[in-house]
Amino acid sequence: MYILDKNFKEIFLSQIVSIIGGLITGTILVAYTEKLFLIPGLLILLPGFLEMRGNISGSFTSRLSSGLFLGVIKPNKIKTKIINGNLMASFFLAIIISLTLGILAFLFNYLILKVVYVKIIFVPLIAGVIANTIEIPLALATTFYLFKRGHDPNNIMGPFITSTGDVTSIIALLVAITII
Amino acid sequence: MKNVKKYLGKLRIVKKKHYHPLIHKIHREHKISKKTLFYIKEYGPNANVPKRIIKESIKILFFASIISSVGGLALEHLKTTLVSLMPLLVLIPVLNDMIGDYGTIISSKFSTLLHTKRDNRWWIDKELKKLFLQIMVVSIFTTIFSTTLALVITSFMSEAPKMLVYKLFFITIIDVIILVSILFLIAIVSGIYIYRRNEDPSNFLIPITTSVADFANMIILSALVVMFL
Repeated sequence: MYILDKNFKEIFLSQIVSIIGGLITGTILVAYTEKLFLIPGLLILLPGFLEMRGNISGSFTSRLSSGLFLGVIKPNKIKTKIINGNLMASFFLAIIISLTLGILAFLFNYLILKVVYVKIIFVPLIAGVIANTIEIPLALATTFYLFKRGHDPNNIMGPFITSTGDVTSIIALLVAITII
Repeated sequence: MKNVKKYLGKLRIVKKKHYHPLIHKIHREHKISKKTLFYIKEYGPNANVPKRIIKESIKILFFASIISSVGGLALEHLKTTLVSLMPLLVLIPVLNDMIGDYGTIISSKFSTLLHTKRDNRWWIDKELKKLFLQIMVVSIFTTIFSTTLALVITSFMSEAPKMLVYKLFFITIIDVIILVSILFLIAIVSGIYIYRRNEDPSNFLIPITTSVADFANMIILSALVVMFL
């Protein structure tokens, strides 16, 4: 059975892109360990916060791509009801899920680690607003750009969202911690 | 043409929970793809787009948040160990991304396989065996590659002892092998179950496998760290 075919190469290349994004995030995490780990419960919300970007922006770009391919969304018209609706929904979901992650981290801190730290609720909320203000318009612009250039956004946006989303998220978390 | 417009208008106001034979009728009579018709029905001019997206996504996102937070709790318990193991800290986002991506690939490929294959005996399917081998080889390669890079990056901050380097390679490779096997098992079992209920596995498999992958990654990684480091 020959396994080193086109499929193998595509999976391998997309993983290399994903790894680079992850390594940048991990390096920032290590560089600011003292600052980040001072917050009790930050590691509880970290995986969910990093994953949220893919779950929300990933679905957002997937819906946009489907619309573009089906001709329901026009590549030259951004201000339409369907795109505005998608943007609103993605922002709303990001805020709600950020708040949920904060509440869960607070509850786990309180119930399991016996630490009361209310500020942990606001860390992902502020970071979520910052990260999504950058990530969602970036995802929209990149999807349209790729489509106009004749590429299939579905093949590229997955690793792109994972990589840029991780970096944006970790920087947003640092900014939020500094603000709080 | 007039008929198409009339049908499309009707389709846009069909309530979501209602079965819509109109899709099949328009598809058959006017050769418009089912995907286009589905999109028109879901996000037509009369649809409340944000409400529809939020309603469909919120439950699975809540579920994913809870699962991830439980996994994060395992990491929080290892906080002190992680601070002293910088290469592993660098690798956490990498492993999470990687495993999530494999979950997506396995789910989408297995969903397509279920739709296209007539033979239900998945265990003798050559394509599935090939995919398993491909994902396993890619995952081992990329794990070795990323672990090496993580060690190089952190060597500028502090040099890791030789024994730790070997253990780190061992832990990450074992973690990835176990997780890829779990992902295949979940995709096959739940994919067949969903398919037999006449539902589309594509809508369920990706959220299930990625959430389980993230959660299992943190639990298995924490267990391996406790056992070997």
